Amino acid sequence: MRSVRLDYALRVFWGLLLVFLYAPLAVVVFFSFNSINSSARFAGFSLQWYERLFRNEAIVSALMNTVVLALASTLIAVVIGGLLGYGFYRYRLGRLSWLVWLIYLPVIMPDIVFGIAEMTFFVAINERLGILSPGLGTMVIAHVTFQVPFVALLVNARLLSLDPQLFEACHDLYAAPWQRARFFLLPVLRPAILSSFLLALTLSIDDFVISFFTAGPQSTTLPIYIWSAIKKGVTPEVNAIATLMIGSVLLVALFSLLAQHGSSGGKQSKGGTKA
Amino acid sequence: MSVLHRETRHMLFTVAPGALCIFVFLVLPSVYLVGMAFLTNGPYGLPTLPLSLQSFRELAGFGFLGWSPGNLYTLIRSVWQTLLATALVILLAYPAAYYISTRPARWRPLMLLVIVVPSWTNQVIRSVGWMNIFAPGTPVSDFAALLGLTAPQMGLFPSQFAVIVGLVYNFLPFMVLPLYAAFERLDTEQVEAAKDLFASPMAVFRHAVFPQTLPGLMAGTVLVAIPAFGMYVVTELLGGGKATMIGNLVARQFAQASNWPLGAAGAIIMIAVTLIGLKVLRDLGRRLSGDREVVL
Repeated sequence: MRSVRLDYALRVFWGLLLVFLYAPLAVVVFFSFNSINSSARFAGFSLQWYERLFRNEAIVSALMNTVVLALASTLIAVVIGGLLGYGFYRYRLGRLSWLVWLIYLPVIMPDIVFGIAEMTFFVAINERLGILSPGLGTMVIAHVTFQVPFVALLVNARLLSLDPQLFEACHDLYAAPWQRARFFLLPVLRPAILSSFLLALTLSIDDFVISFFTAGPQSTTLPIYIWSAIKKGVTPEVNAIATLMIGSVLLVALFSLLAQHGSSGGKQSKGGTKA
Repeated sequence: MSVLHRETRHMLFTVAPGALCIFVFLVLPSVYLVGMAFLTNGPYGLPTLPLSLQSFRELAGFGFLGWSPGNLYTLIRSVWQTLLATALVILLAYPAAYYISTRPARWRPLMLLVIVVPSWTNQVIRSVGWMNIFAPGTPVSDFAALLGLTAPQMGLFPSQFAVIVGLVYNFLPFMVLPLYAAFERLDTEQVEAAKDLFASPMAVFRHAVFPQTLPGLMAGTVLVAIPAFGMYVVTELLGGGKATMIGNLVARQFAQASNWPLGAAGAIIMIAVTLIGLKVLRDLGRRLSGDREVVL
């Protein structure tokens, strides 16, 4: 009796929670089609903010910067972080046990401190050596630095969950290092690499603070553009830009859902052929 | 000999790029930032010699006009807002995680995705959403005015309320995921046994559910409280000057105020408080689990 009532209460709670989670996003999407610049009154449907947006060169270049930054940093971080995760797994009990401190440092450091430390460092280097002037390059470096530990930790966690005898089997079968990487590590790490790719991409897209402090005048990204538009009090296109970003996130979500289905279906057959 | 050589080469190939990246682009900058805190503020807001503790004195509130408690209030407010937001996140995340774990297995990944997707959008965009909802004249703001919570024609932001909502919204997924993982592994026989012994729902929760979900709760608390304490975007956009946290205080020294040593000193305090917080959580986790296992 009580459990039925509890179940009912939980359903209601879940519904309210979904409203809480999606109302801010829905409101942004809804008012991006408003014919007047207001988030209190909907005066009629219009695409004028989108038209303005694509005619605004600053926004188009901010869009390009956002995509380039997210993809470049994620690809680099997955390679470097994947190698680090594997190296950490191999040598964690030996000479490199101190690595754990290095890997956790970016994870626990508040991102505002992270961003400021990078900014002051880049400024100091730039003054003395003339390299690393603020721009997309410094932003990619900063993003890679905070993405690498997360990738390394995911890959390491996957390796820890494996039977250590598998590694000995490779050794016993005289697998050359490249063979071990190609026929054992890569297939086994595929899910971890895929999920760390998505996580690193998410971290990069979600970040504002670190981008903000390492950006240069030519490397404005969409979140930085929105931020300065709000600060200047010019907000009409903000909802439209935000809607585009929300739309692309929903696409990625859909893709990851499909990928999940695909990999859970395909995993058995893969395991069968490789084993 | 050649074996050792090969191992070293392998180690360099796998570990060196990532380790160097973190060392050069985070450890060195952090050391530089820490050192900066002990320099003097120069004429253009840039740090110069001589070494001094001036920035720490300033941070503690000692200025030309004597002592002022502003910065101290900011620190206390940061801790208070972090605690409040974390507590609210826990209150929302427990029933959510429990509910997901009681649904049919094929629905659960989708339900988790639904929880996580909003956090994939950028922090700035999430705050823009709440700015839209809390702006003057919106149904939510009008309703609050009707209840007498705000003055008419005033929005619900900037305010401390808006900041807390923003913090809860930002960090909810980080609590739901670890709690869900704990609920999924829950040993239901313990719960059944407690019910058979006519334990009240509260007692069932306290003695059968809570201890089992404690590791998830502790992990979630770390994932929520640490970034919440360092929050910059939400407080800046939804709080205006009314709910500033220490992250805003630090950032201001590098942006508008141009007092880098003072900002660096603030950053040191942030890291120190974060580490103290981790220590406190660790001790709390040990005590709550009755010293049986190390939770963190």
